[in-house]
Amino acid sequence: MQGNLAIEASGLVKSFDGKRAVDGIDLAVPEGAIYGILGPNGAGKTTTLRMLLGIIEPDAGRRSLLGHERPLEAAKIVGYLPEERGLYPAMTTREAIAFMGALRGLPLETGRKRAEILLQENGLGDYVDKPIKSLSKGMAQTIQLFGTIVHRPKLVVLDEPFSGLDAINQGRLEHLIRDEAAAGTTIIFSTHVIHHAERLCERIAIIADGRIRFEGLVSDARGRLRPQVRLKPRNADGAWRKSLPLDARQIGDLWQFELPRGGIEPLLKALIDGGAGIEELSIERSGLHDAFVAIAGETAAREMEASEQADFGEAA
Amino acid sequence: MMSLFEAAWVIARRDFVASVFSKTFIIFLLAPMILFGFAFFFASMTDAQDQAAAQPAVAVVADSATAGALGEARERLVTGTSEESFPVLRNVAPAQHVAVQARALLADEHGGYSAVLSGTLDRPVLTGPLKADGYVAHRLQLLVDDARRAAALRAAGAVPPPAPLERVVTDQAAGNLQMIRRNLAKGGQTLIFTVTMLLATLLLSTLVEEKTNKVIEVLAAAVPLDAVFLGKLLAMLGISLVGLALWAGMFALGYTTLHQMFEDWVTLPAVAPAIGWPIWIVLLILYFATNFMILGALFLGIGAQASNIREIQTISMPVTMLQLLVFLLAINVVGRGLGPLALTAYIVPFSSPMAMIAFGAQSETLWPHLLALAWQALWIVLIIRVSSRLFKATVLKSGSAGSFFSFLRRKAKA
Repeated sequence: MQGNLAIEASGLVKSFDGKRAVDGIDLAVPEGAIYGILGPNGAGKTTTLRMLLGIIEPDAGRRSLLGHERPLEAAKIVGYLPEERGLYPAMTTREAIAFMGALRGLPLETGRKRAEILLQENGLGDYVDKPIKSLSKGMAQTIQLFGTIVHRPKLVVLDEPFSGLDAINQGRLEHLIRDEAAAGTTIIFSTHVIHHAERLCERIAIIADGRIRFEGLVSDARGRLRPQVRLKPRNADGAWRKSLPLDARQIGDLWQFELPRGGIEPLLKALIDGGAGIEELSIERSGLHDAFVAIAGETAAREMEASEQADFGEAA
Repeated sequence: MMSLFEAAWVIARRDFVASVFSKTFIIFLLAPMILFGFAFFFASMTDAQDQAAAQPAVAVVADSATAGALGEARERLVTGTSEESFPVLRNVAPAQHVAVQARALLADEHGGYSAVLSGTLDRPVLTGPLKADGYVAHRLQLLVDDARRAAALRAAGAVPPPAPLERVVTDQAAGNLQMIRRNLAKGGQTLIFTVTMLLATLLLSTLVEEKTNKVIEVLAAAVPLDAVFLGKLLAMLGISLVGLALWAGMFALGYTTLHQMFEDWVTLPAVAPAIGWPIWIVLLILYFATNFMILGALFLGIGAQASNIREIQTISMPVTMLQLLVFLLAINVVGRGLGPLALTAYIVPFSSPMAMIAFGAQSETLWPHLLALAWQALWIVLIIRVSSRLFKATVLKSGSAGSFFSFLRRKAKA
């Protein structure tokens, strides 16, 4: 890995009531990256983020945030959106954003001005003086996100940022994350929705049962699975069938198997020589979902899907 | 990173503004004044009624000369003391059987007599449910004796002319000074206790707002929890001082008005506390602040462990009882030397401010106050640190917010 690390953690351990919630997590988040932490609910994502930020102390292990071993020392250059969103209901949107900035050392007046700009730029100019309690849940989440970035942090930590948002607001949030990253901000977010990580992240960590199952580039995660070959022969039977790899499965008229290590060419030759008569042939790279199933296991994947369904229901 | 005080200031400013510029703050300001106003009004009314109802009446079943002599004796003695010092006398003409008449008078609910005096001045008879050393018997004996003495002097022509009391006015007398300073000491303690009890208990529920709104995690990620606790305490102290300033202003206005109207009986004591009024007033404010901060930090810490209002209500009563105990400990220093109990009251941080304000009223030594304020400040810091650490350890956990109470529940289930 090249360049400086925005977050570095090694051997983080945390137990609650004798049960290990996080069991020896190592993380390395490069500066400027969009980094995703994937895992089902209860995997240890939130606890990991809280330990990184110093909200709770690890039982064991070390962590460093933008070079600071004591996370609060970096508080002025860090933004954090917790999983459980929290705003004072009576505050106006402008005051709420400015207050969150003030907590990170931004002068209140500057915070108010930036809040107005953020609201105007995002089409929420009419809500500057509206109290938080009058906003929809999605809009309040957006206000809290503005509060997370109003002091222009170098690192933004988002815990399940897409949770509870409808599709339109999810799209806006993805856009905002990309903009922040383009401006040089490091973004780390946790999610149980794989496609958000797949669309946004260069690097990911997959967590299940409090342990890291994978940490690295998204392409590397996907690369753990061989590309899938789908073949539709013109002739159902023939000598060509002996040429198929051992893992080949028949699904209707199609045969599916991993791309052989030696490449597709020798197999193609054998199939043609064996009289298969190739009607369709495709080679597909594995998606992150398949990689997740392979890495974290079927159970974790099912839990992720269940969380996603619950989230969808909430947003709907 | 912001300093602890910078961060505490951000928290305090938010809390202060949110409270002071809310509609409920007007109720907060007016409620005690309205309550005290009503309490004063009804207390005055009931007091007057109680006095009238409570003063015992005695039926004097005697001839008019005896009744007149007793009436004059009462008039003389009441002039030197107060109207309430002697039972009310009502003349009743004697019937044929005085003993029967006395029983009938005592049974008459409408008359409401406590006793019946019959006979003559030389052979008076008092009938009623009397105790030998009881109030009515004692006062009637005084009246009879005085009436007899006056009659004897008149008969001997030896009534002395009145001797006007020459008054030599001095600034003070040691006995009066001590008494007034003891009263000042108690007054200062009661003021600190009452206001702290009214206001510091509010701190029990302060962090519930953050926990309910889930803001606590935003705060905890940005600033040290010590700053959150300190900020909340300072905000509540500021809010309390605004309230106190207004209430003191209203009191001063009321006093000035009443003093102008009734100069004779609405006056503050002319004697200053031993340490002097200006320093004592400053100490009163400082000790209120430290008392508020010490108890407030404790309440904030306890309240922070509660996850809802129901739990807050559950812990309110023991907390109020704790305050009362501390007050009882502190009042031991008034008018007493440095005995073990008084020393305990000075040292125990929860009673120290109230004990020290009494000390200021009774002693002119200044340095113990500096020591006491430093000692109390140390305890504020200690309680805040312990509270915030306990909060971090038990409440700020992954998933749903826990608390010391939920921890206890889990243990009980296990």
